[in-house]
This record gives sequence, C-alpha cells and structure tokens, in this order.
Amino acid sequence: MRNAESTGLGATPEETLSALADNEAQELELRRLLRELESTPELGDRWYRLHAARAAMHGEAVRPSAGFANSVRAAIDAEPALQQNSAGSFRRALGSFAVAASVAAVVVLGGQQLALTSAGGNADLVARVAPLPVGVVNTTGAVPVQASYGTRALPTLQPADRTAYRELARQRLRRYSQEHAEHASLNTPQGMLPFARVPVIEQ
Amino acid sequence: MSRMSIVDKTLGNLRWDVALPSLLAGFLVLLAPATLVAQPQCESLDPAVAQLLQAMSNNAQQASYSGVVTLQRGSDMQIMELSHSVSNGQASEELVRLTGQDARVERSGHPTGCMHPGHQLLRAANVLNGSFCGLASVYKFRVQPGDRIADRESVRLRVEPRDMYRFGHVLELDQDTALILKSSTFAADQRVLEQFQFASLSMRPGEPNDAVIAHEASHPHPHESAHLRTGVSWELAWLPDGFMATDAAPPESQRKSYTDGLASFSVFLEPLSAAIKPGEGVERQGSTVAYTRGVLLQRRPVLITVLGEIPTNTARMLADSVRLR
Repeated sequence: MRNAESTGLGATPEETLSALADNEAQELELRRLLRELESTPELGDRWYRLHAARAAMHGEAVRPSAGFANSVRAAIDAEPALQQNSAGSFRRALGSFAVAASVAAVVVLGGQQLALTSAGGNADLVARVAPLPVGVVNTTGAVPVQASYGTRALPTLQPADRTAYRELARQRLRRYSQEHAEHASLNTPQGMLPFARVPVIEQ
Repeated sequence: MSRMSIVDKTLGNLRWDVALPSLLAGFLVLLAPATLVAQPQCESLDPAVAQLLQAMSNNAQQASYSGVVTLQRGSDMQIMELSHSVSNGQASEELVRLTGQDARVERSGHPTGCMHPGHQLLRAANVLNGSFCGLASVYKFRVQPGDRIADRESVRLRVEPRDMYRFGHVLELDQDTALILKSSTFAADQRVLEQFQFASLSMRPGEPNDAVIAHEASHPHPHESAHLRTGVSWELAWLPDGFMATDAAPPESQRKSYTDGLASFSVFLEPLSAAIKPGEGVERQGSTVAYTRGVLLQRRPVLITVLGEIPTNTARMLADSVRLR
C-alpha cells in the first residue's frame, strides 16, 4: 500500500493515477491530474490499464470510458461549497467518494445495458432506465450516484452485458434462494441447513 | 464403539415393516420412466454404506436433537442453532441464525413417515439394486474412521461423483446416531466449497427462540405443492443421471426442482415482456451457483435461472436444455 507521502502534493502524475485507481488520491491532486490528462493522452491510456487491472482484481468488469475524467471533474465541480474549504479529511473523503461514485455509475448502469431499445447513441441514458424487461433493481451504489450527479448528464458508457448479467444472476440468487431451500431442505440429508445458504430470510 | 455396533444399532432403528412397502410403491411410481432405461448392471453398493445412508436419513427425521452449527464458505462463517424434535409422529424443526440477520426458519407438523424423493433415494440405496442403481450409479462411497467432532466420535463417508455433473462430499456421521456432524462439499479440483459442522450436539430438542424474522417453511407434498404458473409450458430436455423431480411440478410452473439424494437444484423460467440482449451471468456462493441466461425460445424472450449446489457447467447445460412446449 502507498503511504501518505507518495500521494501528497509532490506526487508524480503516474503516482496519483495509481492512487486514484485505489481510491486513495486527494482532491487537489485529482484536479491537477485531470488537467494533465487533458494535455497528455498517454496518461489516459495508463489510467485505463491501471483501472482495468484493479477492477479485474476485484472481479469486476468495469470499463472506464474516455469521458471518465470529465465526469469526475463534473462530480467535483458539483460541490461548490466544498471548494471554499482547504484540504481536510472530510474533503478528501468526498473527493474519493466522487471517484467511487463514478465507478459505481459505470457498474450500476451496466444493468441497463440489457434492455434492447432502439434509442441509439448515448444522449439519454436516463430514459433507458425504465423499460428494462427483467426487473433488475439497481443495488450497490445506486443511491450515492443519484445524490452526487443530480440531474446532470451521466458519463458515457461502454456496453457492459457481462457485468449486467452477473448482476442479474446475483439478484436471482437472492430472489429464488429461499424457494430453492424449501426443496433442498426436504430432499438433501442436511435437514434445515440449506436455509443457512439463503442470503436474506423473508417471512 | 466399533463399526459393527453402529450397523446393528441402525438396522434396529429402521422400521422395515412400515418403510419398505411404501418405499417400493413410491419408487415404482416415481421412477417408472427411469426403470425403462436403467442399465441392467449396477455398481454394487457396499451393504455397510447402504445401511449408513439409510440410518443417516432415517435418524435425521426420527430423532430429537439440537446443537450449534457453523457454515463456512471461503472466509465467511455463519453460526446457527438447529433443533429437531419429534412428538406424536410429527417432526418440528428450527434453524435460528446467531450471526448476521436475526432470523428463524421453522417447519412444524411434518409427519415422520413423509418421505420426500431425496430421502427415498438415500434409503433405497440398495433396495432396488438391479432395476434402478440409485446413488451407487452416480457416486462412489468409501467408509473410513472419522474425527472427533462436537465431542462425539464419527465415521467418515467419502462420497465421490462418478461424473462431472455433481460435487463430491465428505460426511462425518455420528457413530451412535448416524446424524451428520460435519459435511464438506468439494469441487472437482478438491477445493472445499462449503463446510457445515456441529460445534455442539445434544440429543434433546432446543429451547424456543424469538427472532425478528420468522419464516414458516413449507413441506410441499410431492403431488400437491403450490406452483406459480408462468403461462408458458416448458421442460428440461436433459437431466444429469440420478436426478429426479422433488415434486410434481405442472409444465407451466415457474420453478422445477430436482435431487439426486445428496444435492439439489431448481430451474426457474421467467417469460419477459420485452426483448433482451442474449447473454449469461454466473454468481457462486460456496457450493451454490446461480446461473442466469437471457434467451429467445420459439421467438419468446425468456430468462432462465438455474440455482443449486451443482457445478457451473451443469447449470449451463441445464439452462441449455430448457425447451418450450
């Protein structure tokens, strides 16, 4: 793990990128990094690789898009009151929250990619949320992303069918586990123990 | 205590006069299609193993006991209290979570003579030898000396699958009662996926418990259980050997469940109101897999989910075999 010095003000853009991928970068560094990202395209590539590696480590299939830097900037700019403060732990927490929220937006919206709609382009992602035929409920990160972005445009997304289907499998596991356990508990030798596998027991 | 004495004891516990005729009758009805295609040569099952399986199934239903059980899946551990009591020929059982969610599941008034297909498979392991090979055709069994678990001596029953469609198990059975003291589920690469283990066991029912969430588990009769109907008739074109339906699900039931006596899985079908991008997703938790596939069947968009304690590949093949009628 990185120590505090390496993510401090003297950090190189590469170090800050690495810290960002681990959600450890401070907001001031983030702003500087975002400026550099705009002028140095190689840094963008490096961000992509770092983030993909981190996502793979966590078993996620997150694909940050080219517009990612802009969306992070937008998230930070959306908090004007906080810009008046000097650096502090609260501020840093919010900075990394914005980053985490952006990443979560990619994951959560992946769930919407399953709906087959004719709406082309990426102009109106919000409109695509409604007609999903499979009853996906946005779970992890859904609420913080809404609070952070408000009605602002959401980041451009790559198709994420794999992520979306994995989320679907996870939700079906929660939805059907108890019904499966009813039968498993009567038809396997461990008696009631299959109910221990149900994530949340419902009445 | 020697192994001979367990066998004598377990044989003594079996009520053959009652169990055998109903068991045979049930089998002939439920397995009528299977017997037609059964291979004439069955792998013989060691009589000691058959008796152990029968005693395990029988006593789990007939005995009164309670204890604390742990469930380990990877680095996650849950602890729960289990209680089973029998009075007037009816069993009441209860599982209370001691970690995580404050919940209790109970099933009461379950007649001890009510034998579901999974237990029929366990108890008939050698009864119908020759016409249906049962468990011995899909698993290899070995009896070994067991460890001391929950302050009790055990006999180890090593259960290896004969094909790649199911997991292996190691069951440590109590020497006196043949109750499962510890059960471990293994993947093909010998990785432990999940482990249940009694930390303490007493041959008395436990005290009543108050939990925030209390779920009354059903005991669906194999022929009369309630089903959520999808309006679409469907079937599985393929079942791994040794699996049979747990209940008589109508063709349009949303769920169909199957067991081979040691493992079980359920298949769920949801007709969708709009098209979906075809694809698949997998989530595994311990020995449980949820495999979800979005697909067009006869131009109807459906979502198929296979959920159970089986390898991912089996779940995928099952989803693949779903046909609309």
